[in-house]
Amino acid sequence: MYAIFKRDFLQYFRSPVGYVAIAIFSFLAGFIFYSQYASGAVSISSEVISLRSFFVIIVPIITMSSFAEDKKRGTEVLYYTTPVDLFSVVAGKFLAALALFAVMFINVFVQMIVTVSNGGKVGYGEWGSVIVFFFMAAMFISVGLLASSLNDNQIISAIVAFVCILLFQLLSTISSYAKSAVNAVVFIITQDVEASAKAGDGIANVINWLDPFARTSDFRTGVFSVSALVFCLSIAVIFLYITYRVLEKKRWSQS
Amino acid sequence: MIEINNLVKQYGDKRALKGISFTVNDDEVLGFLGPNGAGKTTTMNIITGFLSSTSGSVKVNGHDILEEPELAKKDIGYLPEQPPLYFDMTVKEYLDYICDLKKVSKEDRKKQLDSIYSMVKIADVKDRLIGNLSKGYKQRVGIAQALVGNPSILILDEPTVGLDPNQVLEMRKLVKTLSKTHSVIISSHILSEIQAIADRVVIINNGKIAAIDTITDLSRRLSGSSKLLLSFQGPLKDVSSNIRAIPGVANVATRNSNDRLHEIEITISNTSPDIRASIFFVMSKGGWPIFEFRSLDPSLEEVFLNITAGK
Repeated sequence: MYAIFKRDFLQYFRSPVGYVAIAIFSFLAGFIFYSQYASGAVSISSEVISLRSFFVIIVPIITMSSFAEDKKRGTEVLYYTTPVDLFSVVAGKFLAALALFAVMFINVFVQMIVTVSNGGKVGYGEWGSVIVFFFMAAMFISVGLLASSLNDNQIISAIVAFVCILLFQLLSTISSYAKSAVNAVVFIITQDVEASAKAGDGIANVINWLDPFARTSDFRTGVFSVSALVFCLSIAVIFLYITYRVLEKKRWSQS
Repeated sequence: MIEINNLVKQYGDKRALKGISFTVNDDEVLGFLGPNGAGKTTTMNIITGFLSSTSGSVKVNGHDILEEPELAKKDIGYLPEQPPLYFDMTVKEYLDYICDLKKVSKEDRKKQLDSIYSMVKIADVKDRLIGNLSKGYKQRVGIAQALVGNPSILILDEPTVGLDPNQVLEMRKLVKTLSKTHSVIISSHILSEIQAIADRVVIINNGKIAAIDTITDLSRRLSGSSKLLLSFQGPLKDVSSNIRAIPGVANVATRNSNDRLHEIEITISNTSPDIRASIFFVMSKGGWPIFEFRSLDPSLEEVFLNITAGK
């Protein structure tokens, strides 16, 4: 696993991918921090929360080449014909992408130091936001890796990852639309106000259950919920496992 | 040693391999021939563990590739048709990575890589980016990759494709050197190459084995008997009758004849020993000078065409 991690992590810096991702992240973090700084009210936690909405751009850039590139160049043959376990290949690539996030995040740590040295405050709420950021990054990276394992075209991998992550980010909007839609349909069928409201709430609850942003909204106030972290981690493990199965299946299908 | 037993590979409705069995002995070079789409690469991919067979088994030095993949894969070095290279790594970085993948210990690494560098002659380019190397060097790096971990078996899928004639010769030399210390399975379209390198040939056609034999026996078997061509000066009738009298000669036929030179085709029965010396002495005794004397056995090319054409 370490071999794959090392190669993939360094690969980000052999190609423009790592630099582009770091540049975009640094620009966004710098821009948000500066506008807060200029208005005189710096809040690292709200900065980190705003940065989360850019997962949709940064994660596909990082993960699009992970497996697609190997497939295209024929280097995936190394994973199957050397005594290396396929799951450690997936894990190595996952950790490499997560490590790139850690490098990008140096920006925010520097900003924290600047904040504290200027008399600002970095407390539980801030650290909570940082923790949530990394758990969500892990979750979305696993989504991106699955997208990359499904085909040999980086652009398509990036688009698939983009759409999937966007869906996660829009879950709260989707849930409110679904709620009113189900509400209306059930009311037309049953003419029962109470039942239709219940059905609408039900569907909204199911969709909200999947929403990592809603689950972790308390972290910024310093209230940590283990279940939210377990949720993110579980989603990550599920997607990594599916990615592993996709690789495993390749052995049995036409190349 | 590799034992391949009744391999079947089904791709949807298409049966790519229809029950292939053969054995590769230690320190043997096995040529793997077949037209495009015959199943060569599929077979090689199954042996190396890249693909799984629908049924049948592959045992590498006694280890089943599906049941004990780690042990089996340790003994195999594979160079696919498209070498698995990362163009933005240097040769050294790349081979280090392969050492990591093949779990070569830190102590052995330097010694092993140094011997690989000198064996495949890439020491002078080890700090260059693979993407900037010529095709011949890329292929060498591909072979170096296969040699990492000191496997006893090398599987090379068309290693000379796309190389210029000089590079082809060098590659052939390299494979010959490697064959002294490794079992090698080599597939190729260049039949003369197989003829030059391989001890035995497996000809595969349409997912089935069409023939397995040594090259000489294969040609002999296909032609039914060996033939010799003799061109000389002298009386055609006398020469023909004298040669026909040699035990083991089945037939003598005139191929070409003019005032200056005659050409005859001598058919030797299958069981007879080498009679070339007897023919020489007959000619020498009669004082008939020989201008050309060679075997007319079909080349591998002809054998290949015959077999794959379904004859």
